[in-house]
Amino acid sequence: MGFRAESDPFTLSILQNALIYAAEEMFAVTARTAKSPIIYDVLDFSTAITDARGDVIAQATGIPLFIGIFDFTVKGVLAKFGDDFEPGDVVILNDPYISGTHLNDIGLVAPIFYGDRLVAFAASKGHWNDIGGISFGSWGPGRTEIYQEGLQIPPCKVFIQGRPNRDILDILRVNSRIPDQVLGDMEAQVAGLRVAVRRVEKIIAKYGLHTYFAAIERILHTGEQIAKTRMKELPKGHFRAEDFMDEGGPDDQPLPIHVDIEITDDEFKVDFSGNSPQLPFSLNTTYPATVAAVRVVYMALIDPHARYNQGLVAPLKVIAPEGTVFNAQRPAPVSVYWEALTYAADLVWKALAPHAKDRLTAGHFLSVVAEIIAGMHDETGEAFALVEPNPGGWGAGCDMDGESALVSFADGETFAASIEVLETRYPILVERYALNTEDGVGHGQFRGGLGIIKDYRILNSRAELTTDINRARIPPWGMEGGQSGTLNYVLLLSEGRPPFRTRKVAAHKLNRGDIVSIRTGGGGGWGDPLEREPQRVLEDVREELISIEQARHIYGVIINETDLSIDTEATIALRARKRRERKKDLRSSDSEHRDCP
Amino acid sequence: MPFRMAIDIGGGFVDLVAIDEQTGQMIWSKTQTTPQDLAEGVKEVFQLSKVDARQVSQLLHGQTLVINAIVQRRGAKVGLITTKGFRDVLAIQRSNRRDIFNLRYKKPRSFVPRHRRLEVDERTLADGKIERDVNEAELLAACERLWREGVDAIAISFINSYVNPTNEKKALAFISRVQKERHPQSRLYLSISSDVTREWKEYERTNTCVLNAYVMPLMEGYLDKLTREFRQLGMTGTLYMMLSSGGVSSFEYVKKRPIETVESGPVAGVVGATVLAELLGEKNIIALDGGSTTTKASLVEGLHVKFTTDYAIERDEYSPGYPVKVPVVDIVEVGNGGGSVAWLDEVGNLRVGPLSAGAIPGPACYGRGGTQPTLTDAYVTVGFLNSEYFLGGAYRLQPSLAEQSLRTIAEHFKIDPVEAAFAIIRIANDNAAQLLRLISVQRGYDPRDFTLIAHGGSGPMFAAFIAEELEIPKVIIPAIPPGNFSAWGLLMSDLKHNVVQTMVTRLDSAGVEELIRRTYKALENEVMRIYRDEGITEGILLQRTADLRYYGQEHTIRVPVTGGDITERDVVQVRSTFEQYHEREYGFRLDSPVELVNLRVTGVVSVGKPRMKRWETTTKSVEEAMREERDVYWGGERRITTPIYRRNLLPPEGQLTGPAIVEEPTSTIVIPESFTASIDAFGHLILRRA
Repeated sequence: MGFRAESDPFTLSILQNALIYAAEEMFAVTARTAKSPIIYDVLDFSTAITDARGDVIAQATGIPLFIGIFDFTVKGVLAKFGDDFEPGDVVILNDPYISGTHLNDIGLVAPIFYGDRLVAFAASKGHWNDIGGISFGSWGPGRTEIYQEGLQIPPCKVFIQGRPNRDILDILRVNSRIPDQVLGDMEAQVAGLRVAVRRVEKIIAKYGLHTYFAAIERILHTGEQIAKTRMKELPKGHFRAEDFMDEGGPDDQPLPIHVDIEITDDEFKVDFSGNSPQLPFSLNTTYPATVAAVRVVYMALIDPHARYNQGLVAPLKVIAPEGTVFNAQRPAPVSVYWEALTYAADLVWKALAPHAKDRLTAGHFLSVVAEIIAGMHDETGEAFALVEPNPGGWGAGCDMDGESALVSFADGETFAASIEVLETRYPILVERYALNTEDGVGHGQFRGGLGIIKDYRILNSRAELTTDINRARIPPWGMEGGQSGTLNYVLLLSEGRPPFRTRKVAAHKLNRGDIVSIRTGGGGGWGDPLEREPQRVLEDVREELISIEQARHIYGVIINETDLSIDTEATIALRARKRRERKKDLRSSDSEHRDCP
Repeated sequence: MPFRMAIDIGGGFVDLVAIDEQTGQMIWSKTQTTPQDLAEGVKEVFQLSKVDARQVSQLLHGQTLVINAIVQRRGAKVGLITTKGFRDVLAIQRSNRRDIFNLRYKKPRSFVPRHRRLEVDERTLADGKIERDVNEAELLAACERLWREGVDAIAISFINSYVNPTNEKKALAFISRVQKERHPQSRLYLSISSDVTREWKEYERTNTCVLNAYVMPLMEGYLDKLTREFRQLGMTGTLYMMLSSGGVSSFEYVKKRPIETVESGPVAGVVGATVLAELLGEKNIIALDGGSTTTKASLVEGLHVKFTTDYAIERDEYSPGYPVKVPVVDIVEVGNGGGSVAWLDEVGNLRVGPLSAGAIPGPACYGRGGTQPTLTDAYVTVGFLNSEYFLGGAYRLQPSLAEQSLRTIAEHFKIDPVEAAFAIIRIANDNAAQLLRLISVQRGYDPRDFTLIAHGGSGPMFAAFIAEELEIPKVIIPAIPPGNFSAWGLLMSDLKHNVVQTMVTRLDSAGVEELIRRTYKALENEVMRIYRDEGITEGILLQRTADLRYYGQEHTIRVPVTGGDITERDVVQVRSTFEQYHEREYGFRLDSPVELVNLRVTGVVSVGKPRMKRWETTTKSVEEAMREERDVYWGGERRITTPIYRRNLLPPEGQLTGPAIVEEPTSTIVIPESFTASIDAFGHLILRRA
């Protein structure tokens, strides 16, 4: 009976929690001290603790994309520095070919020592609002090489034994259009790292090095075990999905993309071989970012609530040949990586949705629909830049309507700006912020969620708009007879000019009174609209999400206008007729129906 | 012989505490909560107390009506009228996916469906300028539609009303008027957002206003009934209700703003702990409330109970819940209590909670058919809990059933059940310790500077272990029976009103002193007006605070502000206090301008604090209080014969050395080896780390 007190499973369990708390505390400190809304409000950052080899032990994440980033980041740092670390060092890097994502995402890595032994790393990655490049905000359409996307930083020591490296800071300062803000964010990230370093040192001092190593070994082992258990429940075999990106094909046509997946008892192989060579514009992603994207869908399938660590993703293999759109090499531009990356994830999602209905929905609006509205404020004379993601419609599930107005796959615990806060901060009047009932959704037995319409009236004499939106040509996919969703786009309204519909502009000039109307699409539907319960159709009419005419036309449900009641007999007759007509039209019936688990 | 009386409704019980203001004598009574009609339980507990209603000078009341009505969706049918273009604020929310790896995520459903969310043309700008007046024709049309829908209440929330509420007030007046003209017979409840809070962020404020309207009819009905019944019994004393902010207020005030009582229950314990701290000369405390399903904790620095407006109903790790922007005492909670179930996760890790065995079937040792091991079973098995003295011996626990329930876990780890029991206790203690880390370490406070005040049924059992983990030097177990401590806290609560104005201005902008001066003046007038409506004009203590941040940051820090006319020097002082607080919380200062976000005023009217009675026993030495010696397992190889004491026999000034256990009817106090304990003149047990 009995354990050696310091390495019994309960002590290890408590120590494991302590490491998770340390990563979370690092996250909290950074969020509360950052200077930019993109960090403190949008939470476009993440923090982690890795072991001395760079494998993630504990992570706190605001957006899911960073889930797969830290092992690449820390291993990239190790590849350069080997064991050349001292206590108090902090390494900075943003090279996307090493650490994934784009130049705006700054990685900071601090070695953690116990005595003179390197025992772990604390790592932080956060979006800086400007890191140079051809226009404010650094990212955007129109770039052809990474050199136009900002300052590239290979792994460099920005703190050496606790002291700031002025040379590096000076380079950062002159390369950003908003040096105070981004260096303030760096302070916040470093404050987080320091907390984590102290915390881990304290943990080891309390439990001893031996127990600490036993605990991190156990964390990774436990992760692998969870993955192994859950892999058993996944569908086995080969799966394939094909789709189109909005551009990249010849003659400005959409670009065909695809994925092949093979799931066995102990391997989850995702193969992007055969996809297009990297593109001469920013719709590329580097390998680490592609892996990150796939990991998110993998996590959704395995266990959305598992505490992330490297062990969990042990069965996952991602193949993407170098020089292709999903594994871009220097000097391919990658500043809008999140759009290409979401397409990669969406392919995996689409391939597996029919086989994992309890975890996946039909296609969603996909694009982050990020925009930058920037300029010099007429009254204060200071530069302003509204940078934000926009919510849209999610796909229906096999037993539920899709959610409306939700941030995209690439975002997570990400908050859409409050109108009242926004109007205080920027010379903008918000005239409307509503569910997008104009463009509608993918209809189905269960319908997609709605996107939004947001109308910004510019109150400044001049401003400029940058945006890069996808799923603006090829809509989100429906499932099992559900309709496709609707498109994302921006409508520019200017006095005396016809409305201008666009999906991609760089530094487009805006004048006082102009309206930027952002419209996001609805999600894909699931199942045949004629199978939708008439009561649900009536509810959508009552809620003014669809019209009585749409109820009749799309769903075959007849609703009396006077008292909003369903005419059951007429509905049955109409639906029967519609089915007959459809059969005649298509000469085939593919409304093969599968049950929800 | 006037009594001050507190009646606190909890999830399981209604507690009454009354103090004879002349003799200091205390009276207790307790009965089961009557969820169908809360007033019944209140009446019953009052009758049990045998206090003459005519002798009650003040009745203070805490309830769970509001939170239950919201959680169980039993509130009113509400309509919402909002600014043109913003009908969907409640549906869009903040669009975050809190459960980030769940690709079938659903947001919380709005309390008002879309067809009852109507728009009218009107607009106030961010600087408070009215761009467009309320369009009355549209307002009338909206009312007509909502009348047809048969709503009980209408919430009115306009964009930017936090900075200028004129349009909301106009709409309110208009609707009240047309309601009287067209439907004089029916009662329509109205709530405007600027009345509920003057903080910005339209979704949060609108949701708060809607939830206020949602519970208005219920609350009014309940308070009217209570008032009627107490008056019939001859009670002439004033009736007060506990607010979530830790103060109390008149029934009339609460009828208009019932949402301010959303956490009326748990805050009383924090108030009680703070009052006790003051009596004992403690400055900084952590109040720890260990219940049967949850553990709650609140950090109180310098005897100032902190409140937050970053509160949400039903928020958890995976759901944002419903934000409610009213002041709520800053309490954090974890699903970890005596009834929490211990279980093995899929990879064989031992976990405790948040699932609870509840009252039925309860822990295995209750013998009511429960087979899952709970924390209580672990306590019984290691010997902390006396199976013969549970609830003072009213109930006999069955150790064999406790031990049996632990078998699966013991076999899994190939250890004895008693070792499994101790492991459960360790994991549970770690859960609770994490809760305390969250409110102390994570916010820049050093737990070593604090004293732990532990109450609740299970709080005194694990308080010392947590103190050890966090290096807290001192633990106080109050003499007031832990099970009634919240009601006692209620009795100690002051009258309190909070008002706020969001006012985003840089501290270095021209004329800022004047602006601050004017705003505070207006806020203070507002507080005085609220008190005047309650019939109070004297003894009102006004406290100012301000929420500030570095220019460009989002999150604010609250600092105290001096009274009187604000001068340039005061502004400098505010800035330097802010920087000091910022450095404490985050570890650094910035070379940036400081920005003001909210100004707040709290008006407090102190109630008389009754004297505490001295602790009297017939015994002279602690030896006389010792009842038995019991074999207790303290982990590792430590199986120790441990002395067991009866609390009511422990004489004042007595000293104990751990390991020891002190028993009383509603709770057990565990004193580990590394602690000593002393009994003070009032009977409080003070544990110190050796």
